[in-house]
Amino acid sequence: MKLAKYGLVLYIFLALPPVANLLESIMIVHMHMQMPLLVASGFLMAGFFQLKFPNFLEKWNSNGIPGIILFVIIWSYWMLPRAMDEAITLQVVELFKFISLPFLAGVPLRDSWKKLSSIGKDIVYLYFIIMFIVMAWIYIGSESQLCNNYLLVEQKTLGWGSLAIAACMIIYLLQLIFIDQSEFE
Amino acid sequence: MEQSLRETIHENPKKILGVNSQDAKVSLSYLTVAFVSLLIGGILGLVQGLERAGLIQLPSWLNYYQVLTAHGLLLLVVFTATFSIGYLYANLSHALGGLLPKVRKLAWTGFVLMIIGVAMVVTMIVLNEASVLYTFYPPLAAHPIFYIGLVFVVLGIWACCFGVFINYRHWRKNHPGEVTPILAFFTMGVFVLWFFASLGVTIEVFTLIPWSMGLVETTNVMVARTLFWWFGHTLVNIWYLVAISAWYVFVPRIIGGRHFSDKLIRLVVILVVILNIPGGFHHQIIDPAISQSIKFLHVFMSLSIAVPSLMTAFAMFVVFERTGRRLGGKGLLGWLKKLPWGDVRFLAPMIAMISFIFGGAGGIVNTSNQLNQVIHNTMWVVGHFHITVGVSVVLTFFGICYWLIPHLSKRKLTPKMNKIGIIQTLIWTVGMIIMSGSMHIVGLLGDPRRTSDTTYGGHEAAASWVPFEMLFAVGATLLLIGVIIQVYAVFNMMFFAPKGNTEYPVAEPEDDETPTPMWTERWGLWIVLLLMVVAMAYVVPIVDMLLNAPPGSPPIRTW
Ligand code: HEM
Ligand SMILES: [Cu+2]
Repeated sequence: MKLAKYGLVLYIFLALPPVANLLESIMIVHMHMQMPLLVASGFLMAGFFQLKFPNFLEKWNSNGIPGIILFVIIWSYWMLPRAMDEAITLQVVELFKFISLPFLAGVPLRDSWKKLSSIGKDIVYLYFIIMFIVMAWIYIGSESQLCNNYLLVEQKTLGWGSLAIAACMIIYLLQLIFIDQSEFE
Repeated sequence: MEQSLRETIHENPKKILGVNSQDAKVSLSYLTVAFVSLLIGGILGLVQGLERAGLIQLPSWLNYYQVLTAHGLLLLVVFTATFSIGYLYANLSHALGGLLPKVRKLAWTGFVLMIIGVAMVVTMIVLNEASVLYTFYPPLAAHPIFYIGLVFVVLGIWACCFGVFINYRHWRKNHPGEVTPILAFFTMGVFVLWFFASLGVTIEVFTLIPWSMGLVETTNVMVARTLFWWFGHTLVNIWYLVAISAWYVFVPRIIGGRHFSDKLIRLVVILVVILNIPGGFHHQIIDPAISQSIKFLHVFMSLSIAVPSLMTAFAMFVVFERTGRRLGGKGLLGWLKKLPWGDVRFLAPMIAMISFIFGGAGGIVNTSNQLNQVIHNTMWVVGHFHITVGVSVVLTFFGICYWLIPHLSKRKLTPKMNKIGIIQTLIWTVGMIIMSGSMHIVGLLGDPRRTSDTTYGGHEAAASWVPFEMLFAVGATLLLIGVIIQVYAVFNMMFFAPKGNTEYPVAEPEDDETPTPMWTERWGLWIVLLLMVVAMAYVVPIVDMLLNAPPGSPPIRTW
């Protein structure tokens, strides 16, 4: 429950208007910092929901697959330039962002990850690597400005950032494959 | 606690194994280069001190900036790198029961590459083709051979990195369920940092080579400076890790105590490795083309290193107090008296640690935006790094010599040599207090660094600096005496001291210590986290510098 409290504190902190404004003012920070932090706040708060609604989660998410699909859809949606742009322009969309990322992505992630088989985990992991690479390609390659609110240079920065994340994920994967993980037990 | 030889062989074979003689040769060779560089660098330091004070005038064939470039590179890069490699390879050999033959070969390859590289660099400086100072910022352009020499130095370091990684993996495979010995863990940390630190500078140098040859016309100055400090700042923390490895592991044993929590030590290493590289931006607080908000974020990045530093300070003082009390120290500070102040192996690193308090305080000044405006590029900065690297790091290195070298050369530290060491330590300390102290003060008064003549036509502000510059010369003279004594001590212990066995003073953990968890060994994960932190810090400013770049600069030669 302590974790859930930390999650709530993080959530409230991120929702403070000056904090939100600052984080959203830089495109890459908006996507690769604010959004993951929102997911993390939900991830931390998930314990609370697991305790309050065990039956609901057990019924709908017994093998983790529905939850992880929801997580993937929600996070992928927020990778769209249009979604980010609207979050800044329309209050409703901003509200949806602050609800969907923690509660429809963070919470299901926590509830599903442990339930997934290792193949399921690998698929999710690979999906995100591929998604980041595709994003890098789009955001670096596009010669026109994709968002009203962000300049072309910020867009390219975001592309390079996504590529860096994909590279880190690949390196992580490689070391998982090449180093015997039982060494660490 | 004398054990019979048989028991020792059985329970703690490493103790008698020590560093085997083939490995000792590797380390001794690196240490020899280190102390030859120290001697030359020290002489150049005195020359600078005297020139700054106006006491000598350099002849027309030798200019101040040539001397300064050589002083910076020989001491900052060559001395520290070769000393660290010699010391760490000895630690590795001791902790893992000998180097693998192919690792030893890599260490020799690294040695040869570095010697070739240094020879190229030094030749260009001597020929006055590379008076670009140790930071070699473009648009100042040196002769291409200078940069190619730097590439060789980096290749040499990489050979040593791969050697360590290979030996580590080999040991890991053969010791399932055991954590690596703490000395080997430190060595891994240092070489991982070294490898990733040098990536930045390697990219920089590879862009400078074609530029200095005239194959490309211009270069992006901001990117080069950023890549340089990616490396430069990390180098500082490489020394720091090397120094604290001695503080944590050897100093407690020398004072007759145990080492502090093994787990905490490893945590400090991991934190330094992961958090380090982005600190480089604090060297660029005055650089244009990095936005205010990025600079603001980097205050946190560079202050985050204070966390492991404070953990270290805390741990060391606990060890001192515990040991002092065990030896019968009473009262609030009575334990201080029980520490072996007359043992140079303790005194030198102890003064190093104390000076780190002042170095750290100065560092906080440097990394604070507003205060940096006052001290940037003044002699304050020179004072600062002579305290941090010149005392905290270098005195630790000196202290290490008094057991490492006799151990490696199978000789003994005589009481007489110990006394010489104590005198050396005191001379060095007093010399640095005088030189670095006056540099700090005169820096606050505005005296610029890296400037051979600061009389400014006798302007009254400049005149107020003169007394302090005289003090540089006094300090510098003492320091050169210190260098000479140290170099004498090192080579005496290497070749002439009486034969015998010297202990490798590795501290044992406390009896009731809980075992260290295996997750600390996840170097793959630490490296990914390091890369993530680098990406977070560098993607935004570098893309900005590249896409919003001003016209690049052609090579410029100001001398
Ligand atoms: C005999 C001992 C030493 C003396 C007398 C000495 C003296 C000096 C002086 C007078 C300067 C010139 C500052 C300027 O004009 O800006 C300087 C710069 C410097 N010293 Fe030392 N120093 C000594 C030892 C060391 C050691 C042990 C190190 C590092 C391991 C070191 C690293 C440097 C560096 C990096 C610079 C700056 C070079 C630059 O600005 O390009 N020095 N030193
Ligand atoms: Cu730094």
